[in-house]
Formats: sequence, structure tokens, C-alpha cells
Amino acid sequence: MTTPEAAPAAVKILVAGGFGVGKTTLVGAVSEVTPLRTEEYLTTASVGVDDLAGVGAKDTTTVALDFGRITVSDELVVYLFGTPGQERFWFMWNDLVQGALGGVVIADTRRLETSFASIDFFESRRIPFVVAINCFHGHNTRTAEEIRAALDLDPHVPLLIGDVRRREFGKDALLALVDHLMTLPAPA
Amino acid sequence: MAGGRPPGDPYGDGYEDEDGYEDAAGTMVRPYTVTRGRTAPERDDLTLITVVTTVEEPLDEFGRPLRPQRLQPEHRLILDRCRRPLAVAEVAASLGLPVSVTKILLGDLVGLGLLGARAPLSMARAAGDRHDLLAAVRDGIRRL
Repeated sequence: MTTPEAAPAAVKILVAGGFGVGKTTLVGAVSEVTPLRTEEYLTTASVGVDDLAGVGAKDTTTVALDFGRITVSDELVVYLFGTPGQERFWFMWNDLVQGALGGVVIADTRRLETSFASIDFFESRRIPFVVAINCFHGHNTRTAEEIRAALDLDPHVPLLIGDVRRREFGKDALLALVDHLMTLPAPA
Repeated sequence: MAGGRPPGDPYGDGYEDEDGYEDAAGTMVRPYTVTRGRTAPERDDLTLITVVTTVEEPLDEFGRPLRPQRLQPEHRLILDRCRRPLAVAEVAASLGLPVSVTKILLGDLVGLGLLGARAPLSMARAAGDRHDLLAAVRDGIRRL
């Protein structure tokens, strides 16, 4: 087989958060292409695809995710994956999670609790992340300290407050993640 | 719905964006029809961000030009799309097929020597390499 040396290598960053919090919006704000949509079949029993044989389609769930790309160079492309909104599905999508550089958890100050599960998940899988508080229309009335306390964030986890529709905010969140990664030892 | 986004909502105010679709993916054709019933790829090394590229002039193990036989239309479509490198997720979105189905078709083509696959970069690497990779990613984001 010919190894395509001309092909770029890829890395991925996950964009997570609760239902309707603006994941695809952030992906779209920084992606060089309009976010693409793809789907996957998952089984609610969290078994491997092999085990689907003989199992009716009703036992599988179709989940959709949106993703974008940032071409760094001829050799390197970053893919940004917005995780499916219902945590119980993306948590068992191993291919989505494995090998991620890190994650951006988007949270909305009016309903912070919808992002708890994403934070728990990244912590349990030891995937480094930053938290981006989506504050649009000036709705945020809470300080960063209050939000940190409410999310029970480790002090070293970066937290940003802004509007995910703005490309600059998306860039800042991604840059904060990369800077954060640079302070961490390589994963085992 | 490949690459789909409803007209009029190009992630503009899309705070309700990503979630409304999840139960709307009813499919009329059994999902694994195009794989002739196979539910697992021949190879398990294809990930969402494995980059695949069509081999320009494929040769067999004896160095003779490969003439692929019995390819399905989807296979030929993939070979056409992957003249420029695409991640597995991009191929799936482009074909409008679920990732797992796409991987089976891609695995066929890699196995036939018609498609090259490049694995994602691992972060479990030497400290210097890791720093260089992250610095490159940072530069790419800054240029946005």
C-alpha cells in the first residue's frame, strides 16, 4: 500500500456542553468551512458495532454531530467536533473521544447545570479542557469566581466569558486550550 | 442531510442548532445495505480523523497497475472525492452515510490498495514533538 505522504495529519478538539448551548455555533464561528454534519449509529447498550449483527434497527440510535476544520498547514489539520447534545450518546462514542487533544466545554450562565455532565466526563477521561461561558445579549450577571464555584472547577482550568457567535471568542477559547495543554505533561 | 444545515440558519443565531436533529434521522433504507450486510470494517484502524487519499496510480504487489473490479458506486464515489485528502468524517458527511458504514467502504478500498490512510497524530509523544505540534496548532488558530 502506498503511504500518502502528501496527506496532512489530523488532530481533533471536542466542543461539548449542554443541549442547545451553542456548540455548533462556536464550531461554525472558527471553522474555515460551514460545519459539516455526519451521523453514527450507536447502541444504547454501549456494545461494539460487531454485536449489532442480528439486532433490530430499533435498538440502535442515530446521533448526529457537526464538525469544522482549521487547516494549519499542508501537513496538519485541526478538526473541531461538536459533541451530540444528549450526553448519554456521545459519552459512549469512543472513536469521537479517543485521541482528542482536548475539549472546550460551553456553558450558559442561566443553566450551568446542563454542562456539568461534560465537565465530569472530561475529568473522568483525563481529557484537558477549558470552559467557555456563552454570554450573549449581556445576560451574564455572575462573576468568573461565582461561575467557577458553581461548576466546581479546578483552579488550573481556564475559564473564559464571551459570545460564542464571535469568531474572536472562539479563537480565544481554542488558544486558551492550547496554552493550557502546553503546561501539562504528555498523556501516557 | 450530508453537510446539511437548514437554509436560513447558517449557524447565525443557532442556539437551538445541534440538537433538534437527533430523532429526525429516520432512514428508509436499511443502513448496512450498501455494505451488503457487513457491520464491521475489514480493518479497525480507521478513526473519524484518519485522513484518506486516493492512490494515483495503484500498483499490485508485483508492481503491475491495479485494475479494480467489482467496485460499488459508493466505492467509486469515494475514490473520486478523495483525490484530495479528506478525513473519514468528511467522507461520511460528503456521502451522507453514517460513519460506521463509511468506514466499511473505506476499509475495502484501503485493503485493495486503492486508498491510502494516514493515522491521526498521537499526543503521546516526546515532549519536544508535542510542544512543536501544539505550537503549530496555536499558530494556525491565530491566523484565523
